[in-house]
Amino acid sequence: MRALLPAQDILSFAFSDEKGRAYVCLFADALTDKDLLAEQVLRPLFSYAGAPDAQAVAENTLSPEVRTQTSLSALAEEVLAGNPVLLWEGADAGLIVGTKKVPVRAVAEPPTDVAIKGPREGFIEDVKTNTSLVRKRLKTGELRVEMLTVGRRSKTVVALCWLEGTCREEVVREVRAKLSSIDIDILPDSSYLTRFLASRPHSLVKQVGTTEKPDIFCAKLAEGRVGLLADGSPIALTLPYMLIEDFQSGEDYFVPAFRATFTRFLRLFALLVAIYLPAFYVAAQIFKLQLLPVKLLLTIAGSIRDIPLSPSLEMLLVLLVLEVLNEASIRMPKYVGMALSVVGALVLGETAVSAGFVSTPAIIIIAFSGIGLYAVPNLIEETSVLRLLMLLTAGSLGTYGILLLSALVLTYLVSTENFGVPLAAPFSPLIPHDLRDSFLKYNLRSMKLRPTALNSPNKRRQK
Amino acid sequence: MKPSSRQICFFLAAVAPVGKLVLMPAQLAADAGNDLLFPVLAQLVLQAALIFCVLLLARHDCTVFALVRRAAGDVAARIFAVLLAAFLLFFAFLPVVEQKITVRSIFYDTIPAHLVFAPFFLFSAYLSARALGSLGRVWDILAPLSAVGMAGVLLLSVGNADFGALAPFGAAGTGGFIDGIRRTCCWFCDSALLLAMIGLFPYRKGLAWKGTLCYLGGGLALLFFLAVFYGVFGEIAVLQTPAFARVSAFFSAATVLGRIDYLFIFALAFVMTFYVVLPVQEAVGTLAEAFGGASLLPPLLSVGCNALLFAAVSLLNLSPSQTISTITGTLFWIFPLFSAVLPLVLLALFGRRQREKIS
Repeated sequence: MRALLPAQDILSFAFSDEKGRAYVCLFADALTDKDLLAEQVLRPLFSYAGAPDAQAVAENTLSPEVRTQTSLSALAEEVLAGNPVLLWEGADAGLIVGTKKVPVRAVAEPPTDVAIKGPREGFIEDVKTNTSLVRKRLKTGELRVEMLTVGRRSKTVVALCWLEGTCREEVVREVRAKLSSIDIDILPDSSYLTRFLASRPHSLVKQVGTTEKPDIFCAKLAEGRVGLLADGSPIALTLPYMLIEDFQSGEDYFVPAFRATFTRFLRLFALLVAIYLPAFYVAAQIFKLQLLPVKLLLTIAGSIRDIPLSPSLEMLLVLLVLEVLNEASIRMPKYVGMALSVVGALVLGETAVSAGFVSTPAIIIIAFSGIGLYAVPNLIEETSVLRLLMLLTAGSLGTYGILLLSALVLTYLVSTENFGVPLAAPFSPLIPHDLRDSFLKYNLRSMKLRPTALNSPNKRRQK
Repeated sequence: MKPSSRQICFFLAAVAPVGKLVLMPAQLAADAGNDLLFPVLAQLVLQAALIFCVLLLARHDCTVFALVRRAAGDVAARIFAVLLAAFLLFFAFLPVVEQKITVRSIFYDTIPAHLVFAPFFLFSAYLSARALGSLGRVWDILAPLSAVGMAGVLLLSVGNADFGALAPFGAAGTGGFIDGIRRTCCWFCDSALLLAMIGLFPYRKGLAWKGTLCYLGGGLALLFFLAVFYGVFGEIAVLQTPAFARVSAFFSAATVLGRIDYLFIFALAFVMTFYVVLPVQEAVGTLAEAFGGASLLPPLLSVGCNALLFAAVSLLNLSPSQTISTITGTLFWIFPLFSAVLPLVLLALFGRRQREKIS
């Protein structure tokens, strides 16, 4: 056994029982609750005088989580996972004791999904805590949690969750099969899984839903989706994914329907502005001045008169500065962040304008676009790339380029499916019933059925 | 992935009319003057009847190629497929030219280089290589967009329309009426487009009626647009191309708000982009079905068809007005062959067989 576990943080404790039989307990130093191990397993065995078979020894412990295992390699894996293993003289099998104690942080509100109304709990990096947060909300025997292992070396536990009878069996089977086929060294985060679960792995568009909040996760399970919780990641995955999900926030369900509808349209507007505004500004300047009202045109003309750069180059430069500032502000220590804001906003912005490098409208437009992007935070990766592509196209082909690129993106979006569910549903293909929880948000009492797009075997969710 | 019957209805109601908003109104104004509504009304009624016939054929749940193969054998069906594909590409030529005119006039202040239009063919090649279902899904999005675009353009222009310009009725006489019909044949080929789609969408009970009514609904919007168009421009309507981008230019608040009508014009231009690709996609689909086998065939055919169209548009770039005049005037007879004669012949052949099968 020692040959399988040569690491120095794997400790062993040898002792003997009342009959003088030798025992050895192997455990990972930092991952085991030693007090619990001593109290529930070791102390009762000191005075044990029964038969040496595994069943009898297990019955003599006070631990509620005891398993037997005959394979030495499997026992070694359990020790590495944090579960102590007990071996003794004349044993027919080893005993695995569930006294793992992993250092975890407290359950807190996720920084990326802050809610004014509604639950504030967020997932953490421990899969057991996360499954308990789910189980707390779904006290039904229909909730299935299947623990799978992914990663040859990391052996990361991934909890596959679904509601039996509500989620389509084929989806569960397909997700399970895809997870089983993953052959990767380590799985540091759930985002790795998204690449393996997507029908188009190289796609610009995400194909797996993400959430950090157990209430949203449970709501998605109740709609008929499959959920995945990976050990070591606070971000849960949900499947099948539809693009509209990222326009819905958890809070929409805790405020009046008209308010939720308004904010959803606002998010759409903000996203469209974020993607298209810089591109249209450039296209309007270079190719089609009529797009702008005369007075605005004159104001802009006054601002850009002395700018040495072309409109597209100017806009690209400002966009690049914004992206750099954004990247730096995320990575930089918090106490330097304030200084960075001052340098970014005042020095780079104000001075660049007064020095005549860039115009004021360009900074205003990029600032507005940058803010608009965060109205739908889960799509930032996709939308920031799209914004850049639109800008480059506008600079070279003008408004017609924007139109063609939009047509291309639309075609791509509507023809993408994952687990049999179209990404652009319920708009394309049009599913009239599902429009009740799209950009429009109907009253809760009107949403009696689960989303049709998910094709749940249990269609009705309320009477 | 197949388009649904609802998507077919969306195409007939909201996408097909948009393809007739660029050159056709000015052409009609030139041929029929203030009587421009009558030839269109006649064409719409005729097309609606033909669309009904085509949708009846769709009940067989097999493509037009398969129907011809059943009737005339494999070789004849392949020859027919080539002819149909050639017609569809020929039909696509005018919408492509119209698209180019639209692009030149609404997207640029100065006339851009010919190559600026080239990326359209890349997009067309991408979309044409895909199954019709992708276009069907796009129609779901385009239907409301087209409705909003059309409503917006009409709303901003109806205030400037003098409907008295349409009177007196019958001023153009029978000659104007016949000329109007003859010269608009190339725009009213929706039954041929639909014919190339049959078998690629599932027929649902009542689709023939629903589809026909949807087409007539879209046709009504087109008639209203033409009335507003002639009401706004009167006798100078013959010079107004692209019609849908000109008609709302006199909106009174444009000086304050800028050309906000461009939002609606862009929406219609966006819809039109997909309308233009449809015949090319159908040509690729028909050829791929007739000579299918390799999975690489549709992309290759798509590249080939689009390269052919690009070459044709580039070659005829110097004299577009003569080209358009030849298509609408001299070669007009080709269009009814595929949009009227072919569906009726197929209906005569297979409508009876269907009845026999049912009895």
